[in-house]
Amino acid sequence: MNDPQQPRLTPIDEWEDEAAAMLDGVEYDTDLGLRMARDAIRVSNGELSDAEFHEKYHEELLAEFGEDERPTKPEGFDDD
Amino acid sequence: MTNYGLVIDQERCIGCQACAVSCKQENNVPMGQFWNRVLTEGGDKIDTPSGGYPEDGGSGSLDMEYQPTACQHCENAPCVKVCPVNATYTRDDGIVEIDYDKCIGCRYCMAACPYNARVFNWDEPEQMPEEGTGDVAARPQGVVEKCTFCSHRVDEGLDPACVVNCPADARIFGDLDDEGSTVSKYINEYETDQLLEDRGTDPKTHYISGEMSPGRPQTSDKMESELDDVSPWSDGAEDVPSDADGSDSGDSGGSHHSIESDADPHVPAVGSGGDD
Ligand code: SF4
Ligand code: SF4
Ligand code: SF4
Repeated sequence: MNDPQQPRLTPIDEWEDEAAAMLDGVEYDTDLGLRMARDAIRVSNGELSDAEFHEKYHEELLAEFGEDERPTKPEGFDDD
Repeated sequence: MTNYGLVIDQERCIGCQACAVSCKQENNVPMGQFWNRVLTEGGDKIDTPSGGYPEDGGSGSLDMEYQPTACQHCENAPCVKVCPVNATYTRDDGIVEIDYDKCIGCRYCMAACPYNARVFNWDEPEQMPEEGTGDVAARPQGVVEKCTFCSHRVDEGLDPACVVNCPADARIFGDLDDEGSTVSKYINEYETDQLLEDRGTDPKTHYISGEMSPGRPQTSDKMESELDDVSPWSDGAEDVPSDADGSDSGDSGGSHHSIESDADPHVPAVGSGGDD
């Protein structure tokens, strides 16, 4: 059976540890996932634009996943 | 445009767990996992009160403060922005959903969700009974899953299972873009909060606290917009918002109270699989 998992609100100072635990053992780059998670909240907060977020991680995602299908792609963005 | 949202009246919620259980049943949620959970503000365990008993003649502050929590269907959803393969996406009607065929199990979305609303199938999911429950196919091992606002029901004009099965009428589902809908009226009329507002995620789930609303008495399992002739305001609900007299809100208000033949109270069907 799956280990029990369920919605809960994590205090902000514990978030990073919890996110790292979630990504532990993942087949993909853990550090990239953590950095993107942090910046995705900055996008929600309005501290970072969708376009900036997209550009910041585009190359790394292509290298890690071979694709970048995020909806944050700005118009006219050069995919290559 | 339609933009679905949920209002949860914490003053009406009695912490009975019916939403959590009906969510599991309807959505075939694997053993060990919950998509929806009734939190209490006093602690992480079930039914943990905050405050204390009255001592020395004092009034005491013991309070249960139930807070049912599932995916908040954020307007600015960080989970959607990080998914490299666009498996997590926002539908045109605002529901945040996962395409399980596309999901590669990277769990980036889980790390990005501030509400811990997502669960991962580390193992082959187990169902009880083995053939599963409800109206949704089981998800495979290696993908992330979460509350869908019961999109399979919504697509058929039915309210989410947790909404229909809430005995306290504390859960109200509807179109946030329709000013005449009960969800919109309650958000305007009552003090409502979104969880973790400071993160800027702008959840489509709003919590009423402080003053109890009339709820939305469930005269059927159909969404309000699907009910032509049924008043959402039951008799005696005198504290409904003042613009709910039907004068300008078309078929979502009104003082008439007849029930159409296709709007029978929800009775689970027996026999051949599924309950709707
Ligand atoms: S609550 Fe979490 S999973 Fe749901 S939309 Fe918001 S960030 Fe995504
Ligand atoms: S786990 Fe699945 S849904 Fe989540 S980010 Fe990865 S591919 Fe997208
Ligand atoms: S809307 Fe459906 S999937 Fe979401 S918590 Fe309610 S029953 Fe579960």
